[in-house]
Amino acid sequence: MTFRRGSGLYLALLGADSWVNVALESCRKANPVMASAPIAPYNSSPLGNSSSPNASRESLKMEPLADVAMLPGEERVIDKDIIYICPFNAAVKGKVFITNYRLYFKNTDSESPVTLDVPLGVISRVEKMGGASSRGENSYGLEITCKDMRNLRFALKQEGHSRRDIFEIIFKYAFPLSHGMQLFAFLSQEKYEENGWNVYEAMEEYRRQGLPNSEWRVTFINKNYELCDTYPTILVVPYKATEEDLKRVATFRSRCRIPVLSWFHKENHAVITRCSQPLVGMSGKRNKDDERYLDLIREANGTTKLTIYDARPNVNAVANKATGGGYEGDDAYQNAELVFLDIHNIHVMRESLKKLKDIVYPNVEESHWLSSLESTHWLEHIKLVLSGAIQVADKVSSGSSVVVHCSDGWDRTAQLTSLSMLMLDSYYRTLRGFQVLLEKEWISFGHKFASRIGHGDKNHADQDRSPIFVQFIDCVWQMTKQFPTAFEFNERLLVVILDHLYSCRFGTFLYNCESARESNNVRVKTVSLWSFVSSDTSFYVNPFYTPESSRVLYPVASMRHLELWVTYYIRWNPRIQQQQQSPVEQRYKELLVLRDQYLKKLEELQLSDSAPSPTHLTNSSTPNAATPNQHITHLQTPF
Amino acid sequence: MELSEHIKTANVEDVTLRRPFHPALRGTLCVTSHHLLFSDGKDEASWQLLILLKNIDAIEKSVEILFGYPRAVGSSGTITIKCKDLLVLQLEIPGMEECLNIASSIEALSSLESVTEMYPFFYRPSHLTLSSPWGLSSMEQYYKQTERLWDRWRVSTVNSDYSVCLSYPSAVIVPREVDDDKLIRSARFRQGGRFPVLSYCHHRNGMVIMRSSQPLTGANKKSCKEDELLLQAVIDGSKLGYIIDLRSAQQAQQARMTGGGFESKSCYSDWKRIHRHHERGKVVQESLIKLVEACSDPSHSVDRWLSKLENSKWLSHVHSALSTAGLVVECVERDGHSVLVHGSEGTDNTLLMSSLAQLILDPASRTVTGFLCLLEREWIQAGHPFQQRCAHSAYSHARLKQECPSFLLLLDCVWQVWRQFPLALEFSEALLLRLAQEVYASDYGTFLCNSEQERCAAGVKENTHCLFQSLLRPNIEEQYLNPLYEPTDLVIWPSVHPQSLQLWTGLFLRWTEYAQNMEEAREEVWSIVKEHREQAGPDRTNNMLSTHCDTLTPFENLMDELTIL
Repeated sequence: MTFRRGSGLYLALLGADSWVNVALESCRKANPVMASAPIAPYNSSPLGNSSSPNASRESLKMEPLADVAMLPGEERVIDKDIIYICPFNAAVKGKVFITNYRLYFKNTDSESPVTLDVPLGVISRVEKMGGASSRGENSYGLEITCKDMRNLRFALKQEGHSRRDIFEIIFKYAFPLSHGMQLFAFLSQEKYEENGWNVYEAMEEYRRQGLPNSEWRVTFINKNYELCDTYPTILVVPYKATEEDLKRVATFRSRCRIPVLSWFHKENHAVITRCSQPLVGMSGKRNKDDERYLDLIREANGTTKLTIYDARPNVNAVANKATGGGYEGDDAYQNAELVFLDIHNIHVMRESLKKLKDIVYPNVEESHWLSSLESTHWLEHIKLVLSGAIQVADKVSSGSSVVVHCSDGWDRTAQLTSLSMLMLDSYYRTLRGFQVLLEKEWISFGHKFASRIGHGDKNHADQDRSPIFVQFIDCVWQMTKQFPTAFEFNERLLVVILDHLYSCRFGTFLYNCESARESNNVRVKTVSLWSFVSSDTSFYVNPFYTPESSRVLYPVASMRHLELWVTYYIRWNPRIQQQQQSPVEQRYKELLVLRDQYLKKLEELQLSDSAPSPTHLTNSSTPNAATPNQHITHLQTPF
Repeated sequence: MELSEHIKTANVEDVTLRRPFHPALRGTLCVTSHHLLFSDGKDEASWQLLILLKNIDAIEKSVEILFGYPRAVGSSGTITIKCKDLLVLQLEIPGMEECLNIASSIEALSSLESVTEMYPFFYRPSHLTLSSPWGLSSMEQYYKQTERLWDRWRVSTVNSDYSVCLSYPSAVIVPREVDDDKLIRSARFRQGGRFPVLSYCHHRNGMVIMRSSQPLTGANKKSCKEDELLLQAVIDGSKLGYIIDLRSAQQAQQARMTGGGFESKSCYSDWKRIHRHHERGKVVQESLIKLVEACSDPSHSVDRWLSKLENSKWLSHVHSALSTAGLVVECVERDGHSVLVHGSEGTDNTLLMSSLAQLILDPASRTVTGFLCLLEREWIQAGHPFQQRCAHSAYSHARLKQECPSFLLLLDCVWQVWRQFPLALEFSEALLLRLAQEVYASDYGTFLCNSEQERCAAGVKENTHCLFQSLLRPNIEEQYLNPLYEPTDLVIWPSVHPQSLQLWTGLFLRWTEYAQNMEEAREEVWSIVKEHREQAGPDRTNNMLSTHCDTLTPFENLMDELTIL
């Protein structure tokens, strides 16, 4: 018998599309949208349900531990009977388990499993819904707002204040910092072979870029965070700038975030430098040291005119003068040109994503989908960020050095520098390089993750929160869409990164800056997300990746070519969920599993061969050895 | 009038050509009876652009007249050429008179009405001979190859002289127990004589998809016994069939005022009628025009792009087409009932549904050959009026007559399926793009005329080459194949949520940088595939123990596919 490629899989898939029957029922009731039910049978495979490696691992461990898979260091806090008011189906009776890491729900009332596995870090708000005297079914309970584009509603029995304890426990464990407790990352006992904290070493990365050299030097002036408390310890600055210069420049830049090198173009020696806004103020102050310092950046590779990209809209930059900030004026910086990139601030982005959530959760706005999408302006913001980064990348590859800043230089600036570096340098498009990019431009340079995400903090309405990093990852996703072979990593990596942006399971995205991470001993006391990612890299690899070194990728930043990242923003919708994995990736994954099984089999066979036993012949022809037929039927079952 | 008489100026030197995303070029422009030729040099290595005049949808001319000196040296004109494949070119032509001559030649020659004057009748490439067969298959051959039809179905040649139905092919497949006389009577009861014929018989349960035009019940509710018997014979004993009427119930009612109508419950008691509203004709054509207008808006910062996209309603046509095709499939596959599909004439949306349903249901129609055969059977032989529908495309200023991009809509729907099931179709997007181009302007005769009868009368088969034949022979070009093809016997249900349907950027934004990026990516994927296929050869024999050949073969197949992926 020969094994027809993939045939077993498809056969096994046949039984899996039970939803279609439901759909047909609705057809008989002459439902006008009936045909909208069909979805890819590829996706009906149960494999699709365990869409992340930890999920599958957990589901394996789950049985002995009363259905909750626990991470090392995770502890059960409370179990409770509860009704999950699923927005896509009816209310589901079940049990909820709260640990110090997660909320886990499992239904008890029907055959088909309904589960929820929500790290508590994802929760931004817990509210009581209804009162003890509320009428109507399931009107008494909890409403949980999540940071990852979903809300969860649970109903409880009205008798005996049954929600009081669970409300308090969720409130406490979801917001540990507000209750004087530690984030889970500090309690986790997870162990991984590779230490992800070693992924990024600043010196190593600068050396890779060809630094230091005769134009740029490494300075340790910030080794105790004395120059700038939100910058890393190692900085690269113009060779000709003295330590004293740096200190004087720091006085003229918001929060002392002086212009320092982010990326160096090996061929034309042009650089991307980043900083915060100059402290010009209403009176239009000038600072000779800052002016000379920018000129040193310009001189380093003989750029005729240094381009300063101010990420903000022009009016915002002007308005910032009122609070002491501002922008580089023409008179003061004669060898520079200033370009405003019109990207809006964190508040605008937060509201935009909120609007997007309104149209996709729980129900997707179907009738005027495109115009509703447009009214959120989310894609428009994505476009502005991408086109800003394209301008930066283009300027640098044409040989001119640039300075990028916004107000404080940790939100829009990080977006622009990291995206333009991703366009310019193919290293950052590898699995490892992308981690380095995030560690460098976002984590070490002080994107305020703690404030923007609000890890463990109950203050859900905090005006400092904003999905700047999500927006950046969306931009990366847009690029991977436009260049399907240029990135070593796949969409799944991006989703995992965003999931753990909130989860508080790893230390990677905790705290606002390096100095805070250092004083809290994050590298010692917590596990890095990259340890976890490195433990199963095959999961994150794009099968179509074609390495090429020298090409600059310019995505098309036109609204016409941007797409909503449906598989992230609408992934909680079961219909979209079933489509979450692209069939190609899914097939790839299935094949990887099959390959492993075959390899194992092959190994066994070779072992049995090398054993000079007389039973060898009979062994290989008995049914329980691997005759192909047996083997194949066995293989079908997992799918 | 000879074609050449339209040409007053055949050659102009020093013409500047501007194309999107390319530097401007200077060269010679030349107009022939069927082509516009631009060449940037005289030697062999020169770059040339050859455009079929029929591909030109609209031209706009602007002449710069130096004040008071209309014939002064230095006056020049610009012609903007907008093609049916959505390419837009600009030609700067020195000399006002030359410019106007060229423009008028293009205008006259791009809108030839007579079929036999069109280029396919003159196209004689050295690698093709006219004696090679035209078309891939005939209804008789299809019947012979499809064993499941033999029992209850027969080929009728009642229309062999096209007297029963002008737009049907000479042979059609009908229930065995219905004789030709009954067919003739049924034909008189259906608009344009398009009586119910078999379109597809499902391999899994023998249920069929039939198609026809609307019944001519008229205001006084006429009926036709033979038509009823014909449909009765289709379901043959089983209790239920579905009639999917591609008009709203109200539209179907209104159609009675103009002599049309629908199958009433009283006469067709075993058939359940479902109405699904579909836009047709002018409305769809205008959608295409609006969409292309939005896509070719030159400002890159198009505000309100998504609203424009939505307002064009193109994606909502895609949505309804795929939904209704899904409904047909659901009836046949899930519910196990036969289906009759029709709208009014039965030459546009009807064909769209029957062919999409087959693509979703039938693995055989997802191969290159199978897909082209499907198009041949369901569109060309079934009498989609290509010449009328594709006379103009999105740019034309001409008053719309019977234009409608039904076929383009089909290709778009197929593309959506392809995007959702990247492994399931053997052909690639490039094939769909090629078809989208050929249907409007072609070297081949395949899409000429409105029906088989017209093609016969014009001698298309004798005097032109067949596109489908040339696509498949001697070997299908690699670019038309999907490197990831993995046949599946399953029904491939497309999702029709608005978030799942996307603008076919490959077609509508074809002339942008984006398309180039995607093209490069496609080539890279192909080279990965090829590289691994080559490697797979020697690897196979590498230190593998011969005793375990049986186990290893599937393993190697797997590795083969894995490396390809």
